[in-house]
Amino acid sequence: MKDLTEVALNKAKSAGATFADMRIVDERQNRVYVERRSLKLIDETESYGYCVRVLIDGAWGFASNTLLTKDEVAKTAERAIEIARASAIVGKEIPTRLTDEGKYIDTQVGPCKENPFDVSNKEKAELLLTCTDTMLNQPNIVMAWGFLQFIRMHRIIANTDGSYLDLTNYFANPMLSCHAVDSGESQSRGYQGGAKQAGYEFIRKIDLQENSKRWAEEALIKCRAEDSPRGVMDLVLDPMHLSLTMHESVGHPTELDRILGWEANMAGRSFVNPDMVGNFQYGSELVNFTANNVLEGGLGSWFYDDDGVKMFSFPIVKDGKLVNLGSTRETAPIIGLDKSTGCCRSDGFQHFPINRIPNLYMEPGKDDDVTPEDLISGVDKGVYIEGMGSFSIDQMRNNFQFGGDMFWMIENGKKTKPLKKVTYQAQTSQFWNSCDAIAGKKYWNTHGVMNCGKGEPMQVMRMTHGASYTRFRNISVGGAQL
Amino acid sequence: MRNQQEIKKLVDRILKSAGQFDAQVYYSWGKSLATRFGENAITQNMGGEQEQVRVEIHNGKRKGSMVTNKMDDASLDKMVEIAIEMSKQAPEDSEYIELLGPQEYPEVKQGFFEDVMKLAPGDIAKDLKYVVDRAAGKGYKASGLYEADCSQDVIANTRGLFCYEDRTNVEYSTTIHGPKGSGKYEMCRNSYAEMDAERIAEIAMANAVMAQNPQDIEPDDYTVIFKPLALAQFLMFLVMNMKARDADEGTTYFAGKVGEKLFSDKVNIRLLTDDAQLPSPKFGSDGLPFKPQTWVKNGVLKKLYYDRYWAKVKGVEPDATLYPVFMEGEDKTVDDLVRSCKKGLLVKNLWYIRYVDKRELLLTGMTRDGVFMVEDGSISGPVKNLRWNESPIVFLKNVVGMSRPERVGKYAKIPGVMSKGFTFSSKTESL
Repeated sequence: MKDLTEVALNKAKSAGATFADMRIVDERQNRVYVERRSLKLIDETESYGYCVRVLIDGAWGFASNTLLTKDEVAKTAERAIEIARASAIVGKEIPTRLTDEGKYIDTQVGPCKENPFDVSNKEKAELLLTCTDTMLNQPNIVMAWGFLQFIRMHRIIANTDGSYLDLTNYFANPMLSCHAVDSGESQSRGYQGGAKQAGYEFIRKIDLQENSKRWAEEALIKCRAEDSPRGVMDLVLDPMHLSLTMHESVGHPTELDRILGWEANMAGRSFVNPDMVGNFQYGSELVNFTANNVLEGGLGSWFYDDDGVKMFSFPIVKDGKLVNLGSTRETAPIIGLDKSTGCCRSDGFQHFPINRIPNLYMEPGKDDDVTPEDLISGVDKGVYIEGMGSFSIDQMRNNFQFGGDMFWMIENGKKTKPLKKVTYQAQTSQFWNSCDAIAGKKYWNTHGVMNCGKGEPMQVMRMTHGASYTRFRNISVGGAQL
Repeated sequence: MRNQQEIKKLVDRILKSAGQFDAQVYYSWGKSLATRFGENAITQNMGGEQEQVRVEIHNGKRKGSMVTNKMDDASLDKMVEIAIEMSKQAPEDSEYIELLGPQEYPEVKQGFFEDVMKLAPGDIAKDLKYVVDRAAGKGYKASGLYEADCSQDVIANTRGLFCYEDRTNVEYSTTIHGPKGSGKYEMCRNSYAEMDAERIAEIAMANAVMAQNPQDIEPDDYTVIFKPLALAQFLMFLVMNMKARDADEGTTYFAGKVGEKLFSDKVNIRLLTDDAQLPSPKFGSDGLPFKPQTWVKNGVLKKLYYDRYWAKVKGVEPDATLYPVFMEGEDKTVDDLVRSCKKGLLVKNLWYIRYVDKRELLLTGMTRDGVFMVEDGSISGPVKNLRWNESPIVFLKNVVGMSRPERVGKYAKIPGVMSKGFTFSSKTESL
């Protein structure tokens, strides 16, 4: 393969490129989808292609192709060079400069104990059909669906720094949900654990079948539950729920490309600016967010990002203060940094890699003995929320409104009754500064997100979040009711 | 790029290799240019081309599929082999529907234009230079995307179905930020000749200038005038819920409501196949021919979407698709709506719309890129963005007036709409 990557890199260098890379992506995917008791889809997809990225006179060119011969690689490199020259027509005031990073020659394979492509599709389909059948056999369940997705992603990245990387990662993504209908209400409930970088062993561990009946029962409980209370009250949030809250209100606002205005047309910008790093009180002193792209099983742990930067762990918020940002080789120097934080990824060979949220988690509370029940016992009036539901946040990542998947009223320190249609609304830093208690490490859990959409054309990216149960004071609840 | 005959030869070869099994092949080819810009400079500039084939093997009521973008003979043979093996492993589909036989497809308006095929990265960059220079000249920042796509799609099967379609699309959207507010404009057409980059830039610029220094207002119920771009995003959630099976099972708002008058009698929502500005596709995802359809007539919900399985169960004709969405308007402009408004808000764009209550179709989201107070028939000034919680059902029930429909993106041609009693719930400082 190296002879082919050399063709592209030599073409780029001859054209005066200050940097170039070629990324070959060989991706295999297996999906099984069941709706009610019908097997709607069982398939495999193989996608094979490459891209050449060149930086000439401070302007980028990028071209992709699926035909991997010397001639085609040369043509693709020439196309990228032509595009870079077109980019210069509307070039940057300060030409693009990349951080200096190391030269790496490396081969890595991510965690996968049981290769999902060796597990029969019959077994996968029967697992989902059994789960949906169990759900549909419960009273008032009208709809149930399940989905299994397995991805093997093999990347070869060669660049003009001299790096040559051969990287393989496996991803397992289970989904299962059902809908109950009762008295004119319809509510859903299902698996909320997300995806993981793993093989089929992850599917065996989460035991979808064992939990199917409970989720169906809880969907009906939701239908019959009281509507959300309305007013300012406390919240206790579970780790799955918090994964979405932190994704939207910490992950995205600390992406440096957004901060620089490069996403302004679609995903938006950020209330964060570079001057806030080291100064801004993002949350209370209990709040610590870590970006960890070497997290075992993390969906963003790709060994090296698509800039060829070796991934690592770093704090984003420490003792409540904003201390770092997610950056790439291109974005970091613009704010005076000499190293990228390794957050540059693309969702396929056909897309330009962009600044993405890393694996990002909230550290557990310092006191290991604090339990979720301890957090609840300190609430006079509030709501306990499990899992993810409605979510919406403004284009600067400030005003947000979130729902959840399962809700319980808290009164005088106890969970008293189930609720439905709960939403809460806050401003980002107001919310994280209202955090006053976090449960201990043994309650800390992760949630892998497979569908983070960003960029134009849209790219869908993967990362993992994590948290322990956490309490927030004086949050506005129920304002979404008409 | 292969011509239609060459593609037919390719898919026939794949179908033949399925041997004793029924099979359906989906072929697609695409070529694209995409240029992104931000902070008055190009930030990404991409070009690419790809062919892809999916084969779906029908082994009695068992199915297996395989997709590849490797187009050599050995890879295509392997694809069919794997799909056959998967179909053998698959349990029977309890809702199995047989493959369609040959179909007659409607004549639709031209959707493929050579001028898009000929576009070069330099042509796009020159178009973008105009908006960047306009923004920079005023100290503003322009960002956006200019994308040109060419595509071919074919569905063919062993029962004799063959449908072919080629299309081109050019989409240009730009957001211009001034120090205290932003304006946006976008256009999507099938041919490059129909695009007017200077006009797009000028409208976005005018919107940005108009949006500067918004004033604080309290969230409340307001009469709103949605520009077509804002309405398109809101309306899509309503359309997504118009599936007959979901309604029959009671999980959507439309459960038991066909035949009821749900909206203002001004509301008509249809699917057209003869609109020149928004050329309709010929067929849906399984090869079913497109046909004109009326979903809502004079505010009455006339019909919901039936997929082939549910149509068979219910003994009705299946629908190829719900999209594109055509909503009728009135012979007015948005400016006419503003002139007829005593007090309200003109909303140019919406953002991050999500369900709050799917069954009731209650949505939340925010305004973006310009909200303006309207008083006594004229715009008195920009106001700060607000979060809203509202249902498109209520919105369409409370319609006061409409403008002429305009194409928005690839899948909608809809008017601007004035509606009363729209619920805003909180403020945001974000511009």
